[in-house]
Amino acid sequence: MSNILQVKRLKKTYGKGAGRTEALRGISFDVQDGEFLGIMGPSGSGKTTLLNCIATIIRPSSGKVILKGRDIAAFRERELADYRGKRIGYLFQEFELLDNLTIGENIALPLSLHGISENEAESKIKEISDRLDIAETMDKFPSQVSGGQKQRAAAARALISDPDILLADEPTGALDSRNAKTLMEKLCDANRDQGKTILMVTHDPNAASFCSRILFIQDGCLFHELRRNVRTEENAAFYNRIVQVTAQLGGGSANVL
Amino acid sequence: MFFKQIRRSAARNRKGNGLYFASLIIAIIAFYTLLSLGSQDVMRFLKTIESDAVGKLLNLLPIVYGVSLFFVFFMVYFACRYQISRRRKEFGIYLMMGMKRSRLLGMLFGETLLNSVLSLVIGIPVALFLTEGISLATAKIAGLGIIGHTFAFSGTAVFWTIAGFVLVQFISMALLSVKIVRAEAGVLIQADYTKNQSVSAVGTNAAFFFGGCILLISGYYLAVFGLKGLSASMTILTVVLWILGTFLMYRGLGGFLGKSIRKSRRAKTGLWTFTARQVQENILSQHKSLAIASLLLMGAMACISFGIATGAERSSDTRSVDFSLFGTEEEIAKILSDKAISERIQSVYPLYLSDVKEQYNEGMPDEFDLSRLKEVLRQVNDAHGLGKNMADNLHIRYLVNLTSYNRILSGLGKENISLSDGEVALFTSFADEGEYGRILNRAIQKGITIGIDGEEYQVRPQLYTDNVVADRSIALSVALIVPDELYGQLAASREPYCTNAQIKDSVIKKMGLMQAELKMSELLSSAGIEYDSYLGGIGRTLFYRVASSYLTIYLGVLLWLIASTVIGLKYLISQRENMHRYQILSMIGADSEAETKSVKKQIEIYFLMAAVPALISSIFAVWAMLTNFLHIPYGTTVTEIAGLCAIVLAVFVGFEFLYIGIVKKSSGFDD
Repeated sequence: MSNILQVKRLKKTYGKGAGRTEALRGISFDVQDGEFLGIMGPSGSGKTTLLNCIATIIRPSSGKVILKGRDIAAFRERELADYRGKRIGYLFQEFELLDNLTIGENIALPLSLHGISENEAESKIKEISDRLDIAETMDKFPSQVSGGQKQRAAAARALISDPDILLADEPTGALDSRNAKTLMEKLCDANRDQGKTILMVTHDPNAASFCSRILFIQDGCLFHELRRNVRTEENAAFYNRIVQVTAQLGGGSANVL
Repeated sequence: MFFKQIRRSAARNRKGNGLYFASLIIAIIAFYTLLSLGSQDVMRFLKTIESDAVGKLLNLLPIVYGVSLFFVFFMVYFACRYQISRRRKEFGIYLMMGMKRSRLLGMLFGETLLNSVLSLVIGIPVALFLTEGISLATAKIAGLGIIGHTFAFSGTAVFWTIAGFVLVQFISMALLSVKIVRAEAGVLIQADYTKNQSVSAVGTNAAFFFGGCILLISGYYLAVFGLKGLSASMTILTVVLWILGTFLMYRGLGGFLGKSIRKSRRAKTGLWTFTARQVQENILSQHKSLAIASLLLMGAMACISFGIATGAERSSDTRSVDFSLFGTEEEIAKILSDKAISERIQSVYPLYLSDVKEQYNEGMPDEFDLSRLKEVLRQVNDAHGLGKNMADNLHIRYLVNLTSYNRILSGLGKENISLSDGEVALFTSFADEGEYGRILNRAIQKGITIGIDGEEYQVRPQLYTDNVVADRSIALSVALIVPDELYGQLAASREPYCTNAQIKDSVIKKMGLMQAELKMSELLSSAGIEYDSYLGGIGRTLFYRVASSYLTIYLGVLLWLIASTVIGLKYLISQRENMHRYQILSMIGADSEAETKSVKKQIEIYFLMAAVPALISSIFAVWAMLTNFLHIPYGTTVTEIAGLCAIVLAVFVGFEFLYIGIVKKSSGFDD
């Protein structure tokens, strides 16, 4: 398997002088094509900063983010828009659907932004909405559907333009456990059946147990890595391992005064 | 610390929101312009000769002021609301940090006070400057450049301007502050709050939309064709249809747009769907404001067109007589013996103008035969059938003696009339009134005769129009200028109607026409003689012209400013509430250029949504006003008026785009 994304010595600092905070302290890792990578860590560990650097929401202070051989830090406005719309898909914790557009219009928007009309993408939109079980919501507005359907619609919007990588920031954070499980299963299907590369930041060991590899970060540094044997290891067993690491990471006995 | 914070926040408000601050200054200018009307040149001048009418007008001002206060309140309210909606999060944080609600309230009012003071410091000089400009321009347009301009500063106007401004500003802030202070900190911190897209049945929306359109069209029809009789019930019905139609049309428009978006979006790319949905959402959630703004815009356009059309009335009046004195021969001789008066007077002569003796009146066809003239008038081919109408109503009741009329012509430096035997001339005061003079002139060109006392008299083929008395409101539709002998034979009275007097050219040269006339009026008044003056005549016409055109233009401009500001602010408020949508768009691949384009398009469409129906309605409103409520002004034709209204509407559209530009700049998306 080839590397689709390479993060090299990524640093991000906020503020100056005494108020200077290092959110990322030179993180390096690779993401392989078709991998489902989870990033976990306590609050303030830098995981969202990391995801935002990759998503070009913020610029790193130093280091490189290389997607399919190109350093995205060097992108200009138009290339960035292109990158965001075509090369990456972004799944937000709060869905972030445009509430004045119907679900169908929300899903078609990234394509429309790149010059593809709904007519041209009809079969694609139908296929993805069927796969994510939201076909019946297409003509409804976000306020008329459930949270789970909203997040699946957001996932459909993130995947519609066949991005190289799907970035997900706590995608189950605003969902109940049943809807969270459904969403994770759908993401897992997309990863397994279509070979979608997914990079997901999460707090939730349940959601993380669907990943094939998990990076744990703390204080802006890579702290630990867990790999799951996809063929032999069940979600439940992987979940237990995750919980163990999370407990240590979240403080463990070493942090008890 | 607290005062420093107020000062800083107030400064930030002004810097960050030009539209808000501009609204406050507009409010001040609007109030001062209206309130200082009494001290403007034209009004000061009119007061000297038409004090009663001006007094009545000035008594009306408090009502107009009250109406302006009401409208300006809306503008200031929306400006403040926009300002506050931008800072909801900040207020939430203050409350979370433990700021007492009373202190927050104090802070808001402190800022309001500071901004009010600053707006007044800037606004009042600007208002003074503008009113001086208006005053000079009106005097110039009205042909009174000779009045003499004095700088007018009205303390009372300044006082009421400040009072009105502070009142609307504080009421607006009080209403808004109560909302903010009562809100939970958590709600305030959630700066972005969006309303759910309301989804109502397509059928209902279509019913509202088409129902509204039908009511509007019925309103248009009634306004143009149904108000001829000016019946109150019909007028009320028209206004109700008009208002109801506008509201219903906007109520259904959003849903109707939604349907067409669903239809058309499938073939569109880029941010087309987003832009269309944004516009639709604004219309859905603000259909009432849009309807009000559209009605205000319509009112504005109608007022301005009406005001300018009536202001365009021009008179080809010549100054033929300065004063007409009424009194016995002895009384007049006594007046003229006064040195101050006599040294200013160039010529004095009695004017012989009289009714025709009873037996020569109409109804005695053998004596006074107008049949030839009527026949010719009926043949005049004019579009409105005015010639026929004139023929049906033609009476000659008055006579002017030739010597008197020749004195008038001499005073004007014109050639005297010499009537040969069996010849008379025709006079009218209505030469400037539409087609009347033109048709009469055409008729007499054909060489007609009038039968008087069994004899045929040839009418000179020239119409005489120089006024015979000083007062313009004394008008003779048709009179005969006859030789003195014939006058003596036909006139009911042998006494002169009045004595006309003309001021010396040298005095006019020295003092200016108006001052010379005013001085003479003073002298005559103190001498206790009854008189009419040229100035009084002008004053009366000018007064009606200035009063109607000035006030309607004022109201029009005010309504326009308010409607446009309200539309702009309403848009900006909703844009601020939905700012996060643009972040989402960026995240899913929209570049900033596309977003800017979308915002600009939204602003344009949003304004046009209010302006286009207003423009259509105002065309019917002006049409209705010009056909039903008033005559076409003297000296102008329907085409001229229509052209003038078209220019006004075009200027209006131009200014609307200027306003759109300002709102685009304020949206923060301008390049």
